[in-house]
Amino acid sequence: MNIGFFTRLFATSLVSALVAVGSAQAEKVFRRANDLSFGGKESLDPISANRFYEVNDMIYSRLIRLDDQGNPAPELAESWTPNDTATEWTLKLRGGVKFHDGSGFDAGDVKYTLERINDPKLESPLASVLGIIKSVEAVDGQTVKIVLSTPHAGLPLLLYDYRVRVIPEGSGGTIEKSGIGTGPFKLDTYDPEGKTVLVANKDYWEGPPKLDRVEYTAIPDAEARNQAMLGGQLDYNSLTRDQEAMFKGNASFTVQAFPAGGWFGIAFLADVAPLTDPRVRKAIRMAVDRQEMLKLMTGADNGEVTCDSPVKKNDPFRADIACPPDIEGAKKLLAEAGHPDGIDIEVNTADLEPGMVQYAEVYQQQAAKAGIRVKINLAPSDGYWDDVWMKKNAVTSWGQRPADQILNEAYRTGASWNESHFASSKFDGLLDQARSSLDPAAAKSFYVEAQKMLFEEGGTFIAYHENGRRVLSSKVSGMPALDEDYVRWHLVDIAE
Amino acid sequence: MLGVIIERIGLAVFALVFISVVVFAGLEAMPGDACTVHLGRESTPTSLASCRERMGLNRPAAERFVEWSKHLATGDLGVSMQRNKPISEIVGWRLRNTLVLSAVAALIGIPLAIFLGVVSGLKRDGPIDVIVSGIAIFAMTVPEFISGTLLILIFSVSLGWMSGVVMIGYKAPVLELIGASLLPAATLTLILTAHILRMVRSSVIEVMQSDFVLMARLKGVPYRQLVWRHIVPNSLLPAISVIGLTAAWLLGGVVIVESVFNYPGLGRLAVDAVGDQDLPLVQAIALLFGVIYILTNLGADLMALVLNPRLRTMRG
Repeated sequence: MNIGFFTRLFATSLVSALVAVGSAQAEKVFRRANDLSFGGKESLDPISANRFYEVNDMIYSRLIRLDDQGNPAPELAESWTPNDTATEWTLKLRGGVKFHDGSGFDAGDVKYTLERINDPKLESPLASVLGIIKSVEAVDGQTVKIVLSTPHAGLPLLLYDYRVRVIPEGSGGTIEKSGIGTGPFKLDTYDPEGKTVLVANKDYWEGPPKLDRVEYTAIPDAEARNQAMLGGQLDYNSLTRDQEAMFKGNASFTVQAFPAGGWFGIAFLADVAPLTDPRVRKAIRMAVDRQEMLKLMTGADNGEVTCDSPVKKNDPFRADIACPPDIEGAKKLLAEAGHPDGIDIEVNTADLEPGMVQYAEVYQQQAAKAGIRVKINLAPSDGYWDDVWMKKNAVTSWGQRPADQILNEAYRTGASWNESHFASSKFDGLLDQARSSLDPAAAKSFYVEAQKMLFEEGGTFIAYHENGRRVLSSKVSGMPALDEDYVRWHLVDIAE
Repeated sequence: MLGVIIERIGLAVFALVFISVVVFAGLEAMPGDACTVHLGRESTPTSLASCRERMGLNRPAAERFVEWSKHLATGDLGVSMQRNKPISEIVGWRLRNTLVLSAVAALIGIPLAIFLGVVSGLKRDGPIDVIVSGIAIFAMTVPEFISGTLLILIFSVSLGWMSGVVMIGYKAPVLELIGASLLPAATLTLILTAHILRMVRSSVIEVMQSDFVLMARLKGVPYRQLVWRHIVPNSLLPAISVIGLTAAWLLGGVVIVESVFNYPGLGRLAVDAVGDQDLPLVQAIALLFGVIYILTNLGADLMALVLNPRLRTMRG
């Protein structure tokens, strides 16, 4: 019996090995990793707080995407027109698009997808962005009308959010595991703790993808992901600055750097003396040599300096302000505000992410030049976001967000993430005006004005946006040196 | 002898109870509670309240400890916060995988260590002994994350003989796991072998100097028989408890090795659970490691008792 078992085992493994060899030649497989950041609770529901972000990008479509210049461009919506007051938007939808299960895509799916975002039971983080959607009406099969509770001329940019992905009408209960969308790849196996597999959607509306399969392996440890990349077990991985050197100059890999919108900052509480005086708030920020800080923190040319604006470089509404270090100006402002001998301020930080402590230290050195004595307080990592952030001057860390979203989420008076307690009715008014300006140029002028205000009076210090980095197997082509939002996955190819 | 065995088991049970108290108290002593830690930046008063309600954190610590212990006694380890599943379900597969990895490491490492230890003990201060002992000291001092990374760089990246990082899921069949565990097991083996062989070597040297070996030599016992009948069995006895200790000590190494190689076992789960701020799961894994440690040592103690008549008659 034992012999029989082993003979069978041998025979089956031989057969499967042959099958594997046979199919390996025919198939183009793209291997990537998922970082298991939700411990296996990764959800294919695009609006879930635990969204399986590595996968969702490839299986769903947006209504509106961005072109390479950062302007809204058609995806599932072919065109969009507001009414005169920007309270109603009419979207014309693409025809002939099919979901992965073969059902047709129409206005009902869009109405369902958008209205679901604001379902209070789902507690989606996206509701804070698209809460302004009052109702959605399916005018006919290819047309929807979105009714807003307040005017918003920038709706197309909000709809471009990475979480606004169209799912089939009524699929809310099952989408978490089924992953049925209209994207270039469709789900084959869902196993966030093991191997998740996607296969090409041959009926994809932009044409069949060049890859046949995408395989995700759960690798939570960043070093292990790098080792797998080095050993040729993965074709694609994101990189940090320190890891870049392992791959640069090696012909088996392509390293890409691209503008990204994440940042560290220091949120100074604007309602605690002496920072209640806007002159003091400006002085503690203007003394800093941001270019030098960028260089010290990231190595040269690995990011873009910003003048306390959270809006990233390639966002269409980014304000281009110059803010060279002005130590004398800072001293003068402090003297005017009644602090001729400089001031003492405290900055809290925690060792939560690489660089978060150094950021405070470099700032301390920079501020000292203008007589600003910074006391760094290293808080425990546990409970930092609970007990320190928003309650004291604190180093913060954010992922990228579109201009309108971040300015409203973190700077508007009383916003739930207003980490510097900044309160200005003028600033809020500018955001309102921007939202009701249908002319993009006019809208931009209001957003720019608002960002200038943040440099003049705001409480949050942001020195730069650091570039994102990725490493690819040199066999991979069709991946632009831009962040994943701009990658057209059906064009990505891998040489055999 | 029965008395000694009962005493050892009693001590093990006491250690177990003590560990569970320490693990529970450690969590209580931390700032905040499992809910504040888990929710972190996203916590709101309502979500915090509902989390505490769900996890039963509103009751006094003593009451919760009694309930937690009662559940433990029935094998119920509680519910993971992050994964929202019973912990016993999550831990079961990982425990199997870690046991597979440790078994592979032990099956290669222990015989190898005994063989090398005996050889270098017999050839004390000879060239073989110097080389083997030198390598052993080196292997003992290099931390696992360095030796593991080096093994990946040599065997996977440079030579391309085998895949370095484990790419299979936690439910993979055992045969597949064994195949994937070669490099991680080799990393563990390096240290395991070094520790045990040093012990065996000194034990062999000690036995060789004893009166009965001298007697056997004088009465003309052939060398081969002298080694296998007299020296090896007598020098292995003290090594058994060291093997037990080393095997238990391996658990610490498993945490690092599994992370370096992405091996889907209990050690990597422990690191993930800490990263996810999933305290009930961390608590359960800490307790499990404690149980394994105690059981391995108890096993080694009992085995030494059975094999060594002198220990048996020392008391009772």
